[in-house]
Amino acid sequence: MPRTKRFSMEQKKARWGWIFVTPSLVFFAVFSFYPIFNAFYLSFFRKNLLSLKPPAFIGFGNYTYLFTSSLFKESVVNTAIFTFGTFVPLLVLSLILAAFIMSRKRFQKFYQMVLYSPAALSSVVAAMIWLLIFDPRGLANQGLNLVFGTSGVNYHWLSNDTMLRLSTIIVYVWKYVGYFTVIFVAGIGAIPNTLHEAALIDGADRWQDFWHITFPLLKPTTLLVSVMAMIQCLKTFSTQYLFTTAGAPRQPINVLTLNIYYTAIKDHSIGRASAMSVLLFLVMLVFTWLQLRLSRTEEVTYM
Amino acid sequence: MKRLSCLLVLALVMSLSLGAHAAKVIEITYWTHTDDNRTTIENKYIAEFEKMYPDVKVKRVVNEASKMGDLVLTAFSANRGPDLFNLPIEQEYGYIMQNRVSPVDYAAIGYKNADALKADYMKGTFEAVTKGGKIYGLPLELTNWCIYINKKIFRSAGLDPEKDYPRTWEQMADISEKLVIRNGDIIMRRGFDFRYPYYLVSLLPMVEQLGGQLISDDGKKAIVNDQAWLKVLKFMKEWGPHGRNLGSPTYPAPRKIWNKDNNDMAMCLSGFYQQGRLRIDNPAFFDSKEWMVVPFPKFKDAVKDVACSYYGHFLMVNAQSSKDKQEMAWKLAQYMLSHPMEYLEVVNIIIPRKDMLSSKEFKANPYMDVFMGDMDRGHSVFLHENGYQFERFIGDAVQAVMLSNVSEQQALATLRQRIQEVLDEQ
Repeated sequence: MPRTKRFSMEQKKARWGWIFVTPSLVFFAVFSFYPIFNAFYLSFFRKNLLSLKPPAFIGFGNYTYLFTSSLFKESVVNTAIFTFGTFVPLLVLSLILAAFIMSRKRFQKFYQMVLYSPAALSSVVAAMIWLLIFDPRGLANQGLNLVFGTSGVNYHWLSNDTMLRLSTIIVYVWKYVGYFTVIFVAGIGAIPNTLHEAALIDGADRWQDFWHITFPLLKPTTLLVSVMAMIQCLKTFSTQYLFTTAGAPRQPINVLTLNIYYTAIKDHSIGRASAMSVLLFLVMLVFTWLQLRLSRTEEVTYM
Repeated sequence: MKRLSCLLVLALVMSLSLGAHAAKVIEITYWTHTDDNRTTIENKYIAEFEKMYPDVKVKRVVNEASKMGDLVLTAFSANRGPDLFNLPIEQEYGYIMQNRVSPVDYAAIGYKNADALKADYMKGTFEAVTKGGKIYGLPLELTNWCIYINKKIFRSAGLDPEKDYPRTWEQMADISEKLVIRNGDIIMRRGFDFRYPYYLVSLLPMVEQLGGQLISDDGKKAIVNDQAWLKVLKFMKEWGPHGRNLGSPTYPAPRKIWNKDNNDMAMCLSGFYQQGRLRIDNPAFFDSKEWMVVPFPKFKDAVKDVACSYYGHFLMVNAQSSKDKQEMAWKLAQYMLSHPMEYLEVVNIIIPRKDMLSSKEFKANPYMDVFMGDMDRGHSVFLHENGYQFERFIGDAVQAVMLSNVSEQQALATLRQRIQEVLDEQ
């Protein structure tokens, strides 16, 4: 008899669970799953976005075209440069900042809030702010001229290929470093204090404590942050889009998402843009799978 | 019970009759871009139109000009496009080619046929919107760009604006050199600078002046006359930071800062509409007579006298709208456009109707002779289904030589390869 009662309770819970989850599932189905499946489907067709004609099936035509297209190769290279160029400083800086915040006795919440605030800005606003800073007469040139004691040197933040790539990386790191710092802060906070105390009793200094206690136990968080950061970087769009519309050359920052936008919206070639989206999706899927797989092997439990 | 049933039946009949009445109302959705002056007069015309046709309701939706193209495209691709809209002709061209817009309903707007409509407008007005003998749009504006000059800045550099204004591109570079003020490499004041994203409107005519073309007449070969292209690319390279450092796409858009008259920009390339914006942005400068407009320059050794291309915004009607909506949308378009003088005076845009172009009031506008003279020298902007793609590739080539210091030959080779790839695919 008690068995039956517990079962019905579980059933009730499950029913309420479904009720709560259904709106999100419907939302995801309509706004995420359907577009993903539609993109897969469209990637096998030649379709002009404006045309009323039914799409023409071309099999893997769009994919074979992409693998021979110089523009696609250019955007893959640009995406790789941006992703690795952004992901490494993001990871290192956010870890350093988190360690710094956790080492403070006061104002921890204040530091987190200040660092996190750029993440709350829209990407468009962030890019607009940095466009003003990178303007030839803006703060970036003035600052570097002040630091180096020069006058009137233009560092070509928005025009030189390398500087332009660096500019987009700076914007992204500035915007997201606070977000990942907060995740690291949570990770560091989850490490029991007793472990640090034991290390201190054994004579470890702060650096040894961080390197031999904090850092190894942060592996799952580091893994999570690195995969999240990498996926975030692969999806970058607004900064590159706004910089190019403000006159910066397109070629050095023509990342995959920008190429997808131009191919679909400006060139009306939705089949080809869908094929690019599918490839980008697969790359992100691989990273997510890796993250899930690795996080299982790197799980840390505190007894 | 009987009384209740009667009441229910009555309520049902009333709601049905109301529904039937509501069904009679034709709602026309009109999407256009931001322009406060135009909004004022068009809202007035719409109110008048709704009075003339009580069963018509017009919903005028204003979108940011830079986003308008994407929004209209997205709506049309989902088969939810507005009944009436306007876009630059370079964008609208695809809508005509893909049969997404309906031909003009001549009877609805009071014309017997296409010829009668054409007879009321400047020659060539409808060339860009004609397919298979049918006209697909009514012109909201036809625009070309000339050079606006700030006379004070000219004089401050020891130049006489009336005599020393640039007639050739070579003079443009030399005069800009005299006008430019730099702090080291950083330009603090520019003499002139180009409107960089609009390469089909303003850069392609420079190539044409030297005898070049973007694609051959048969539409199969990319880049005609390498020498013309190389000379223009070399000129742009010289203009940029790796050359004489006279300007760059990364500085603020010249047209926007010229109005401020704050010693930032001596010359800019813009249309007649600039005067309307100047009157609002800086009335003191507008009234000061310290500005003038001169024709689009040409190269010293030009083989063709070609001015900046003119482009237009046309009002078009969605081919998927119902027949009665299409008819009313054309009537509304025609009603609004039957006030060309008000559009000119309030919005500073030119609806190229013959009756207005020949009027004294039109000719009395400042520098109208310069704009109309350049209209004669120029031609309609290059139109192609892949026009935007080509414009982007030209932009890449210009940016490569100006900003990345790539050689003109290499930039041209890449440009040719990319355009040819698109042409071959077709």
